[in-house]
Amino acid sequence: MRWWAALEILNPILEAGKGLVDEIEAYLIEGWSVSAELKRDVVSKSIKSHHYGLSIRCIKGGRIGTSSTSNPADWKKCLLASIASAKMATSQVWSGLPDPRPLHGPPLAFDSSLEPEPGAVQDILQGMLEGASRHPVSVTSGGATISLDTITLANSHGVLYSRPQSLVSASLETIRETSTGYEFNSSCSRDFDPSAIGDRAGFLSSASVNGKEIRTGAYDVVLSPLAFAQLLSAVVVPALSGRNVHAGRSRLAGSLGRQVTDSRISVIDEPLRRGGAGSTRWDAEGTPTRRLPLIHEGILESFAYDLKTAYRYGAMTTGSAVRSGSGGLPAIGYHNLVIEGAGADLMEEPSLYVQDVVGAHTANPLSGDFSVELTNPFMVSGGTYEFPVRKAMMSGNVFEMLREIAGLGNDQRVIGSLLIPSIKLKKQQIIGK
Amino acid sequence: MDPGSLRPRYKGMEGIRYYDIRHVQGESTHIDIDNGVIESAGTSFFDHAVIRALTRNGWGILTVDNFQGKGKHEIEALIAETAVISSICREEVSLAEPERGIRKVPPLIEDPRTVDLEEKTGILLDLEQSARIPGIGNTKVSYTERFDKVRFEDSTGFEGGYEICRSGFGIMAVAARNGSLQMGYERRHTIHGLNIRHQQDLAREAAERAVLLLDARPARGGTMHAVLDPELAGVFAHEAVGHASEADLIQEGNSVLAGKVGQQIGSTMVTIADDPSLPEFGFEPFDAEGSAVGRTEIISGGICANYLHSRETLTSIGNGHAGHARAMAGEPPLVRMSNTFIEAGESSLEEILAECREGILLKGSRGGQVDPGRGIFQFNAEYGYLIEHGEYTRMVRDVSLSGEILQTLFSIRLCGRDRLMHQGYCGKGGQSVPVSDGAPHILLDNAVVGGIGDS
Repeated sequence: MRWWAALEILNPILEAGKGLVDEIEAYLIEGWSVSAELKRDVVSKSIKSHHYGLSIRCIKGGRIGTSSTSNPADWKKCLLASIASAKMATSQVWSGLPDPRPLHGPPLAFDSSLEPEPGAVQDILQGMLEGASRHPVSVTSGGATISLDTITLANSHGVLYSRPQSLVSASLETIRETSTGYEFNSSCSRDFDPSAIGDRAGFLSSASVNGKEIRTGAYDVVLSPLAFAQLLSAVVVPALSGRNVHAGRSRLAGSLGRQVTDSRISVIDEPLRRGGAGSTRWDAEGTPTRRLPLIHEGILESFAYDLKTAYRYGAMTTGSAVRSGSGGLPAIGYHNLVIEGAGADLMEEPSLYVQDVVGAHTANPLSGDFSVELTNPFMVSGGTYEFPVRKAMMSGNVFEMLREIAGLGNDQRVIGSLLIPSIKLKKQQIIGK
Repeated sequence: MDPGSLRPRYKGMEGIRYYDIRHVQGESTHIDIDNGVIESAGTSFFDHAVIRALTRNGWGILTVDNFQGKGKHEIEALIAETAVISSICREEVSLAEPERGIRKVPPLIEDPRTVDLEEKTGILLDLEQSARIPGIGNTKVSYTERFDKVRFEDSTGFEGGYEICRSGFGIMAVAARNGSLQMGYERRHTIHGLNIRHQQDLAREAAERAVLLLDARPARGGTMHAVLDPELAGVFAHEAVGHASEADLIQEGNSVLAGKVGQQIGSTMVTIADDPSLPEFGFEPFDAEGSAVGRTEIISGGICANYLHSRETLTSIGNGHAGHARAMAGEPPLVRMSNTFIEAGESSLEEILAECREGILLKGSRGGQVDPGRGIFQFNAEYGYLIEHGEYTRMVRDVSLSGEILQTLFSIRLCGRDRLMHQGYCGKGGQSVPVSDGAPHILLDNAVVGGIGDS
């Protein structure tokens, strides 16, 4: 959908709402995707999706209302529901939706050469199968998706922004005996090698066969970018939200300006990063985005805010609104959260390498305590995988674990909205045999 | 399935062996209250359809928003488009003949639509207030209510439909002291109508638990006897056994239960079933591909008996019956659990604790995860108690359980007679569906318990 077509839908909504509420905002996402799935090594399903979502937010007397619909013809019902919703909400300090700004430029997260055609996803699947065939494993399942969306935001202050976004994602699962392997990749462009995904998924299951038991005890541990991202997302990422901080749900509250992690770690949201899948010049409520250093060399520098939280607590929005709230409301999130630090090869010294963890979401998000089962653990040394470990569990506290690290890896990669390297930790408690 | 049995409503079906259309529309209402502030309360609307067409190549699937009001010709064009999409598939699919039958949705005891948003919000504010006891720094209540109007039809001429309301609430209380934070959480969801009245005691319990957890010590990890409460044992039934019995995973070769039918895979006192016909949170009047629903016994007296099936997996690998295909609105059906439980045994909790003697009692659930191919599961209890001399004593926090599915099933030594079901949502393939799971108290020998404590 072109922006002028979106405008034909959004303009009447803004007009109709103007006399009824103080401010109104409409957010429209429209797009389509193609995907295909593997069952073992055969393409078993081919899927095409058209999707559509309209969210209307109204503000009257500091009360914020919301409603969404998947049917553009239903906008009047949606508008009335949004106004009714505003009547219910508690009034808060509110200083207005953003005014328009000149935020032009080529799209940051879009590849115009992408063709969302079944043949294109089929090629990705074939590439992954070819990669996996280098190992003595069976493919169990896999999938590839190409999606194209247009997001348009308009408000009663005259904001009208529109941007296209694309996403290519692929994943493969393999098995050998009872050892499993999983690898994936995603990008706003078709700039990754599917056979590398297959190769890694194949390696992980084949190399994990005949795992040895290890004894319970303290081990130096290398968490892969995926394993690190799982624990970070469950505990630290929510603790950086201004909303959780002010509501008394963040262990990082009161720590601004203090050392919260090892000084080798920096955490920055980089919304303007070219080619980042979450890159955008304006956030989900029209605030211009900017680079946001949250943790700089271990010092907590900022929390993330959207307008609502910022107005309520006398802070400034950091352009961190994403659309993930109830009824399509904006909520605090991140665009491209980059974990930065000087990287090194972490596989030289003897340690326990962990590819992934089972159960990261069961961590205690407030205290940071966690206990997870390890997936594809290996003892590594001298830059090589020495032997696979059959089964082990790791327990600890994510906040404490980050206070003193042995180093970050030089293997930064994209995991969801994170760009993250591997991490080495000293003397972690591992339950083996 | 014999293409001759097709009685399609739509024309232009050359090359299409079967099609079905599942259309779900409705509305959802949410109320979010945080520390006494009504953050957001309102209603949203949805209309999603999924069309599947089976050709000689395999499945083409088209998902469409705003299906309501589409005319016959438009739908015929969509079905034709769906068939074209299947051109890249290379799987020969055959479908088991479906058993038909539509169960009645239980009547709502109190229809949430008869209570306006303002009254519901008032009840929830009162509920949240009940959790504001000394020591609690933050309270949060969230309410959801969703009406789904489902229509299904397929190329055999079968048509069915129903309306179902799923609603419920969750309350969280956060206790804070000297920089230490702990939470207590309760949730109740139902298909029987408005359930938010008279729940103040539950809110208080969540708050009291959060405060008690501030003084609880972290559990010590290691191998020990463990008693699981009905909620956590239900998570075990769901994560460790239920997922591994989903026949699509069996078909992919990604489950440790593949090839186990007829074999003793657990202690003789273990019977685990899934039953979408039970009037619990995972209830379905019929499944997402038009099959009748009913009980499937996955493990009977320790013997692997059946898998959970769709029509496709039933023909492909057998053992069980179809009726376990489920889907989110506008998403293709997958083999899923509904209401999954360990059958009750004969022991009282006192007998179980006495038999355990020394170990740990694990209570509540912070969720779990499984790798069914490897046969490894992990889940976390909300809290626990040490068991000393056959009685439970000191409270512990942040305690988890992990293990190997097949080994753990043999280590179930006792099952209580107090089965309870709990509600939640289960994720698979990017889709989240309502489920319930349950069990009695169970005693596990030599369980692998995780924790960072030293006592």
